[in-house]
Order: sequence, then structure tokens, then C-alpha cells
Amino acid sequence: MTPDRHGSAIITFPNELEVVITREFDAPIALVFDVLTKPEHVSRWGATPPDRMTECSIDLRVGGTYHSSFVTGDGTVFSFHGTYLEVEPPVRTVETWHFNCWPDVEAVETMELQERDGVTTFTWSLTFNDQAGRDHMTGFDGQQESLDEMENILRTLLTARD
Amino acid sequence: MARASTTTDVFNAVGDAHRRAILDVLLTGEKSVGAIVGQVSMPQPHVSRHLRVLSEVGLVERRTEGRHRFYRLAPDQLRPLHDWVAKYERAINDRLDRIEDYLTELQRQGEDSDT
Repeated sequence: MTPDRHGSAIITFPNELEVVITREFDAPIALVFDVLTKPEHVSRWGATPPDRMTECSIDLRVGGTYHSSFVTGDGTVFSFHGTYLEVEPPVRTVETWHFNCWPDVEAVETMELQERDGVTTFTWSLTFNDQAGRDHMTGFDGQQESLDEMENILRTLLTARD
Repeated sequence: MARASTTTDVFNAVGDAHRRAILDVLLTGEKSVGAIVGQVSMPQPHVSRHLRVLSEVGLVERRTEGRHRFYRLAPDQLRPLHDWVAKYERAINDRLDRIEDYLTELQRQGEDSDT
């Protein structure tokens, strides 16, 4: 049995507007695409316990919309929604990305898949309209610091040390 | 919001792009002030001031040799930053790990129904 790849996501901040995450899965590209884009699948992995997914609708075509809602253990509701700009099964979708907790933030999400020797690489990026939006992702304790490449510096430092 | 001063708060100390540029230069090893000035486009007094802040929060260590001062990274103080990054990384990894587990489950079911 193949050992799992838990914890192997690579998170990078290539510029002031983007967050790019890559992760490999030992599964064929068509299956990975379905798991990422079909509501019956997304509803199975979408929520982080004890959160629950309360809504998951996906109209996978250009101009179609998606909407997902969650409720946390303490009853807080949060949701994501957007409109598909590009849909190319099983390799790519591009969609607008809105998060109810950050109403001023506009972003475009891109999901890309590539299969090689039975391993599918998932590249998941969020491109924000402005740096203030991206900094929501890198802010800590609600402070909106401009952290830019700090994460990369840190990782390099700690790796160099280990 | 009340904020700690840059000289006591490591988060604030790296909140400045110039200081991050200096940390970047020091990644490759110990450097003299002159060498740092040569690699960042900042006048020497500015570099010295940023180095002082970085030194006060413990991100860099100073060594004097004759008339020259050398600086190197002191990564221990980066731990709180690393802890924050680790938390963020964990949230993303948790999500992707759930996708992996679900894919594994689906593929196992597929194999079972084939036999």
C-alpha cells in the first residue's frame, strides 16, 4: 500500500497578489477532478471537523456559479461563492472567489491538474485584486501586516538550520 | 490597536520590507555592514538603524573584529513567526489530506467492486 502524503502541501507566495499551493495525489486525474468539482464529493471532504458543510452547490460551466456554506462548532456561519470563468475538465477551472468574512476582498481562484505516472499534481492558486486582499491570507491575529516573502525567508532559514 | 514597539516585537521587526531585505541578504551567511549596504539599495545609516532593530529583537547577532562589524542571523527568535506559519500551513494541509483520504477510500471501493 502506498504511504500517504499527509502534510506535503507546498505553499508559496510568489508575488504580492498570489498564494499558490501545490499537492500531489496518488489518483488518476479524472477522479481528482471529480472529487474537486462534484458536490456529492466536495460535501464529503469540504468541512474541517467540528465544522459542518451545510450547503454545496456547483454549476460547473462558464458563467455557472458555486456556493458553499459551513457552520462551525460554536454556530458561526461562513461561506464561499463565485462564478466560473473557465472550465476545462479534467485539467483546469478558473473562478471568481468571494468569502463572506472578507467582503471587500476580490480574488480569482485557479485549480489546475496534471497527471504523470499515475500521480496527479494539483496546483491551487488565489490571485487577489490588491495586496490588502492577499494580506488577509498572511495576516496573523487579525493584524494586517505586509508580510510579503517572509514565509519563504522563514522556511529557508529553518530548513538551512535543520 | 495597541502595538508593541519594533524593538520588542519580532512580528513588527519583520513587518518592514527593508528589514526583510537585510534578513534576505544574511541568509547566505555572515556579512559586514559594508557588504550588506552593497547588496540592498539603502544608505549605510539606514542599514545600521535597521540592523540595530533586528539586533534588539534578537533576529541578528553582531560580532566586532577590529573596526569592522559583522552580522549574522540568529534564527531562534524566528520561532513565534514559524509557529504562526505552521498553523496556517496545517489548516491547508488538513484540507488537502482530507481530499487524499477520500480519494483513497473511493479507489479502494472501486477495487472492491471490480473483484
